[in-house]
Amino acid sequence: MDAIETKNLSKTYRAQYGRRPPPSLVGLDLIVAENEVFGFLGRNGAGKTTTIKLLCGLIRPTRGDARIFGEDSKRKESRRLIGYLPENPYFYEYLTPRETLDFYGKLHGLSAAAREAEWKKLSELLDLKSIADQRVRGFSKGMRQRLGFAVALVGDPKLLVLDEPMSGLDPLGRRAIRELILRMRDEKKTIFFSSHVLGDVEQICDRVGILVKGKLTRHGRIEELLTEKITKVEIIASGLNGAAIGEVKNLGTSMRVSEAGHHFIMPDLPTANLAVRTIHKHDGQLVDFAAVKESLEDYFMRAQEAQS
Amino acid sequence: MRILAVAHNTFREAVRDKVLYVLVFFALATLLGSKALGWISIGQEIKIVIDFSLAAVSVFGVLIAIFVGTSLVYKEIDKRTIYTIICRPMSRYEFVLGKYVGMAALLGVVTAVMGISGAAYVTMLGGTVDVTYIYAVILTYWELLMVTAFATLFSSLTSPILGAIIVFSIYVVGHATTILIDLPAHFDGTTSKKVLEIIYYIVPNFSNFNIRAEAANNVAVSFDYVIWAMAYGTVYTAMLLVLAAIAFENKDV
Repeated sequence: MDAIETKNLSKTYRAQYGRRPPPSLVGLDLIVAENEVFGFLGRNGAGKTTTIKLLCGLIRPTRGDARIFGEDSKRKESRRLIGYLPENPYFYEYLTPRETLDFYGKLHGLSAAAREAEWKKLSELLDLKSIADQRVRGFSKGMRQRLGFAVALVGDPKLLVLDEPMSGLDPLGRRAIRELILRMRDEKKTIFFSSHVLGDVEQICDRVGILVKGKLTRHGRIEELLTEKITKVEIIASGLNGAAIGEVKNLGTSMRVSEAGHHFIMPDLPTANLAVRTIHKHDGQLVDFAAVKESLEDYFMRAQEAQS
Repeated sequence: MRILAVAHNTFREAVRDKVLYVLVFFALATLLGSKALGWISIGQEIKIVIDFSLAAVSVFGVLIAIFVGTSLVYKEIDKRTIYTIICRPMSRYEFVLGKYVGMAALLGVVTAVMGISGAAYVTMLGGTVDVTYIYAVILTYWELLMVTAFATLFSSLTSPILGAIIVFSIYVVGHATTILIDLPAHFDGTTSKKVLEIIYYIVPNFSNFNIRAEAANNVAVSFDYVIWAMAYGTVYTAMLLVLAAIAFENKDV
């Protein structure tokens, strides 16, 4: 059974001061398979958070519906299967992590013994023991995110819905979250997350979807979406005289100088080969030759440009 | 279980947020206020202290009910703490009721502490409190439960400031409902009289819960009256909570 299935899912927020805002989400048809890591991409205001809120039952769709493992997302039973981490998670400032997890355990309907077991498991997994009895009030962004992840995992949900889980974290924090997502995938959970950090998405997602102005414009496996085409070639050469530099530069699109030598950017492979022959002809030394394929970022930009 | 979890959390947050500091103000205000009034009411000191203590229970209780109550649900949406709560396998009415029950428990503690300290102060001054005093404290608490239900309803609908203004207006009108029905003769047969009559039946009659003068003057109040007033308050409160739950059911957060 699919973890997420949406049909014509649409949302237009209520009019404010008589002015109806444009639709935030338009006819989303999406399927996320079980045990898949799905990256949901889009610029600010593209409708990512709206989609996530619809999946988690925080807002009601204007049209269409969403199903979580076959359950209508409007029914509370569907939320037994979801662990949700909002962007910049907020918790009760006067509670400690131990009390916070106990509270969410109660909301999940867990017994006292089960809540204690959850605390032991999650505090270890997310390294919360050292801050177990400190109030959330003074927590840093990274500590809150760890607590947020623990809260999302209370009740052992099959689907994790994470809204910008790496936003605002330092490189170590991002890496920790990335590893956690991969660990959850190994534990057979399905992960649906939105992110701006395209490099992270490329590393951990099986499939991605790109939202532009509330519409899902492209989706699929990353290796299918990205072209194998070489988009540019970077050549580094040293020991060239002025005339040789000019000749190679004229073949390419740009040039800069570093300690390693002269960096030339060539538009394609044949031009790059011609540049290499020119370098050798002038008794220069080839230091590096790197063919660059399309990245997710390039693809993302292409999707944005195509839509605008 | 979930309602109690939300209620417990609401109570705990309020206590840690130092809402109960109001009790210290209460103690000081009652002590100083009744002392001052005692000086200008020779031979009536005990009566004044009882009247003043009961009035203070009501005033402080209503202030907490309105100002904390009208931000009960709104604050959760504004601070986004609600996101991780209602995405749990729970119904939205459980959240609203939980918030209400937590607030009711807080007001219960506040009323009990204020009522008991008032009685202790009277005893210390050589006076006694009878059962009417206890009835007066209980009915004040019931009035607070009703005001809190109004506050919870408006907390689901609007901002705390607007909610507080509306609930305070209802509270004031609810203490003077008789002016809506005791109109001069020239109003007879007019549309205004009919409209005011309708308002009279809709607006809660908070005077039903005010037996403070009886308590201060040792006038007996029947147990039946207390039960009747409590039943009135309970039914009204239940209706308000149903409306609050309906208002919150389809709200986008």
